[in-house]
Amino acid sequence: MKRSLRRSTFILLFTIAFIIGISFFMVELVLNADKWVNPENPPYPANQHIYRENGLAEAGKITDRNGLVLADNDENGRVYNEDETVRRALMHTVGDSSTNISTAVQSKYRADLNGYSLIWGMNIPESMRTSRDIALTVDTETCTAAYNMLKHGFEEPKRGACVIYNYKTGEVICSVSTPEYDPNDPPVITEENQDEYDGVYLDNVLSSTYTPGSVFKIVTAAAALEYIPDIYTRTWTCTGSKDIGGHDINCVNGEVHGTINLKQAMEESCNIVFAELAVELGPEKMTATANKMGINMRFDVDDLQTAKGHYNAEGADDNALAWTGVGQGFGEYEDKVNPMQMAILCGSIANGGTAKSATYIKDGADDLLKNIGIKQVKEYSLVDSDIAQKLKDVMPSYKIAGLDIRAKTGTAEVGNGKGNNAWFVGYALNDDCPLAFACVVEDAGFGNTYARPVVEAALETATNNLRGKM
Amino acid sequence: MDLSVITDAGVIGLRVLMPFFAIIIVYQCYAAMRRRRRPEKPLVSLYNPNSGGMIPVVFWENSIGRSKSSDIVINDLSVSRNHCVLLRRKAGWFVSDVGSVTGTYVNGVRIHGRAQVLIDDIITVGSTEYQLKRGDDFNSPLRSSKFFSKVSDKPAIQAWKLMFMITLFHLFMAVEAMFWNEGKNVYSPLILFGALAVVEWGFFSVSYFALRRVNFELEALGLFLTGIGVFMLVRQVERSAYTQLIAAGLGIVLYCVIVKFIEDPDKVQKIRIPMMIVSVVLLASSILLGGVINGAANWVTFGSISFQPSELVKTIFIFVGASPLDKLQTKRNLIEFIIYSAVCVALLALMSDFGTALIFFVTFLLVVFMRSGDIKTILLPVAAVVGAFFSMRFLASIIPAIQNRFNYVLARFGTYRHVWDDPQGGGWQQAQALTYIASGGLFGVGIGNGYFKTIPESESDCVFALISEEMGIILAIVIALAVALLIVYARAITTRSRSTFYSITACCAAGLLLVQLSLNVFGCTDILPFTGVTFPFISAGGSSMISCWGLLAFIKAADERTYSIKR
Repeated sequence: MKRSLRRSTFILLFTIAFIIGISFFMVELVLNADKWVNPENPPYPANQHIYRENGLAEAGKITDRNGLVLADNDENGRVYNEDETVRRALMHTVGDSSTNISTAVQSKYRADLNGYSLIWGMNIPESMRTSRDIALTVDTETCTAAYNMLKHGFEEPKRGACVIYNYKTGEVICSVSTPEYDPNDPPVITEENQDEYDGVYLDNVLSSTYTPGSVFKIVTAAAALEYIPDIYTRTWTCTGSKDIGGHDINCVNGEVHGTINLKQAMEESCNIVFAELAVELGPEKMTATANKMGINMRFDVDDLQTAKGHYNAEGADDNALAWTGVGQGFGEYEDKVNPMQMAILCGSIANGGTAKSATYIKDGADDLLKNIGIKQVKEYSLVDSDIAQKLKDVMPSYKIAGLDIRAKTGTAEVGNGKGNNAWFVGYALNDDCPLAFACVVEDAGFGNTYARPVVEAALETATNNLRGKM
Repeated sequence: MDLSVITDAGVIGLRVLMPFFAIIIVYQCYAAMRRRRRPEKPLVSLYNPNSGGMIPVVFWENSIGRSKSSDIVINDLSVSRNHCVLLRRKAGWFVSDVGSVTGTYVNGVRIHGRAQVLIDDIITVGSTEYQLKRGDDFNSPLRSSKFFSKVSDKPAIQAWKLMFMITLFHLFMAVEAMFWNEGKNVYSPLILFGALAVVEWGFFSVSYFALRRVNFELEALGLFLTGIGVFMLVRQVERSAYTQLIAAGLGIVLYCVIVKFIEDPDKVQKIRIPMMIVSVVLLASSILLGGVINGAANWVTFGSISFQPSELVKTIFIFVGASPLDKLQTKRNLIEFIIYSAVCVALLALMSDFGTALIFFVTFLLVVFMRSGDIKTILLPVAAVVGAFFSMRFLASIIPAIQNRFNYVLARFGTYRHVWDDPQGGGWQQAQALTYIASGGLFGVGIGNGYFKTIPESESDCVFALISEEMGIILAIVIALAVALLIVYARAITTRSRSTFYSITACCAAGLLLVQLSLNVFGCTDILPFTGVTFPFISAGGSSMISCWGLLAFIKAADERTYSIKR
């Protein structure tokens, strides 16, 4: 019998192994529970506690930076701001009661808005709940100003995106994406209306990329300022068209700019100058500069990432390279940028080369902020500080809402019988309004005609509100 | 403050208290197992008239020999390493020669096989003589094992009090289930509770009044777990809660039958061969008649009743490999058991029931080790299985016919530790399990308020996650430990068993339950590959429930009090 006892120790090892296994699982649980509760890779509605039909029943209130309530619960469930324009302008930021808009606050932080704790799981007793309210950084009036311009400022409602953010703090002041719908009345998308609502769930500010056109000249100019020592003393002669690498490069509408220097070329947006610069710099230096400036990068925005732009001229012939230099690269050398990315890039130029990562979250209970990782502010260093200073000198100046603005317009050809994408990206140099912006209007025309008015309307309101309330 | 706030507070208070109540119940069950035992005293003693020395005989079966690991060591070169076995049976004390060179003599007569010895008889082993004396003749105190350090005549808790606590726990579960969010069929858990209470107290009464047994803690633990499993179903598929309860009733009957049936360890030996044949036939029948469920063809259906023969074979498998000490030492050849096990495992592999095959294989290793104590006898089968796997892989690469079957097995391993790479495909069940375990927190969202119950197999293969979500991770771990600790108990009573037959069966039954538990818990939490086996006593499934009670019977039988103490 003693032998049996000794041998049974072998079986006891199984119990010990089991206890070790359980302990291992407990450690895994404690470390990963908040990720498991609402898995994000890939984002899909897995947890019925959160994504059931009435999944926002326990959610807190969402306000803008001034405390204006954008979404809240009453006895009938989730209610949104009473003004339809406000609801529509902020629809991609706040989200609706579904999770169709995956980048919206109500979708990505749904678990946190509901309240989750390791101890209580998804079932925190009402009396123990800390505030689940969340304050966003956006300024509602600025958003509606931009939205009204996109929607009603032109001959027809325009698709597009407009983002303004504070490059010193990272706070996003304005973020508008169209097309949109009223979160109080989400459309049922059918075959008939699918064209109208095409891409409606996508937040163009964060998740879309566009051909940049002339706004890409900022990157080409940065490369020229870095690698060509006598760039300031040079002049070019523009005759409206020039054969580079076997095909013509044209200025928009065949405009002739005459003899111009770099600053003038930037102001006139002369394609020939930047095409020649791109060819002179060569694919490696162009690609290196684009990489450094984050064109091929995703930017962290809270716990999301922006869509990735595209620039790669390696192996391109002179003509293709020339087109990439003016933001009109095609085929495998296509140029693509994301609006938020452009705003951050502009912010970093304004801020001496580095910019804060953008955030939509202004305030909330500590637990909530901790869960959504708001405290991890990143800095992106995209431009050397001397190049940033030089870019400020060569970029066109504007005066908008009394602000000292440096900005670049863009008119990007997209083909397919669609009108050009109008761009306006830039930044204010004023210390009390350190704003960077990017606006794109699809199927429009000149950046100056379509994108600039949207930014002007938004900056006008933003400046008033920020100056009035800061 | 309106009434709903008070009921809310009450339900939440209940939810928080339940895990701690469960801890108390499990503790009381195990505490009761340690108490009410005979104190560590020799059963008889051996008096050496030449040296005047007295040797205490403390076990029911004692190996005598020169080997240091013998229970009674004799340093005499004329004694074989394993000389004879002194054992106690109902009829008295016997000595059995186990192939010694010089022979064993009782009162000067050489014995063959077993021979009875009476008090004051002389047993001669080699050149050493012993006289059998009463245990009381040995006066020095003996050191007791840790588990039984606090033996006392008084029970840790009266059996009926323990049963009352368990019934109360199940009542609390019923109350909690009444306040579920959906709000339909509010009172149906109470009806189920009534049925459960009838089974629980019915079994208790039979054991206490009809069988006159003093101890009920092992059964109480089984009932406690069974009840939890039943109540996890009441808000999922209410009908299967009753099926589960009926299966538990059948399991309890099987439990009583087995405990009675193996009362005489020598008689059981005679029916080993027929039982082996029965079990192989059962397994083979499920290949011939079986339907394929979840990729494993291990079900046999008669009309509206379907069962898994492999579950019943588990109980046979346990005792076929065990035998009393003298048989163990004379018949050391394991070939019969090895062939039998290989056939069982092969049949299960043919059915693609790899989870059960693995359980059988590990249990086989346990039995072999408990019998031989030889690490080589374990390494060899492990090497054989690994070899079989690689040769299968080789065959699968050249024969397309078995490729599909093989790929099905590999697919289960493919997502192992990578469930989040494919949370909607191969890793779906485990990813959902983890999501809902985390959603439950420490105390759960309440019975019926979970969403994991909508996932297929949540009530069986992934029941750990179901309990974690609805009743909290603390309770889930407490009941897992309640099963895992059965090994500690089975091991502690090893030397207090009436025969090595019982100690081997008890340890292996507890080991089997633990292996099954580990595969279930760690499979659904992605600590081990997902094999789809049941959580003992908790998972929905009639066959599994019956076999768990059958296995528990072996642990009960190993406790010497089961047969020797009557109320």
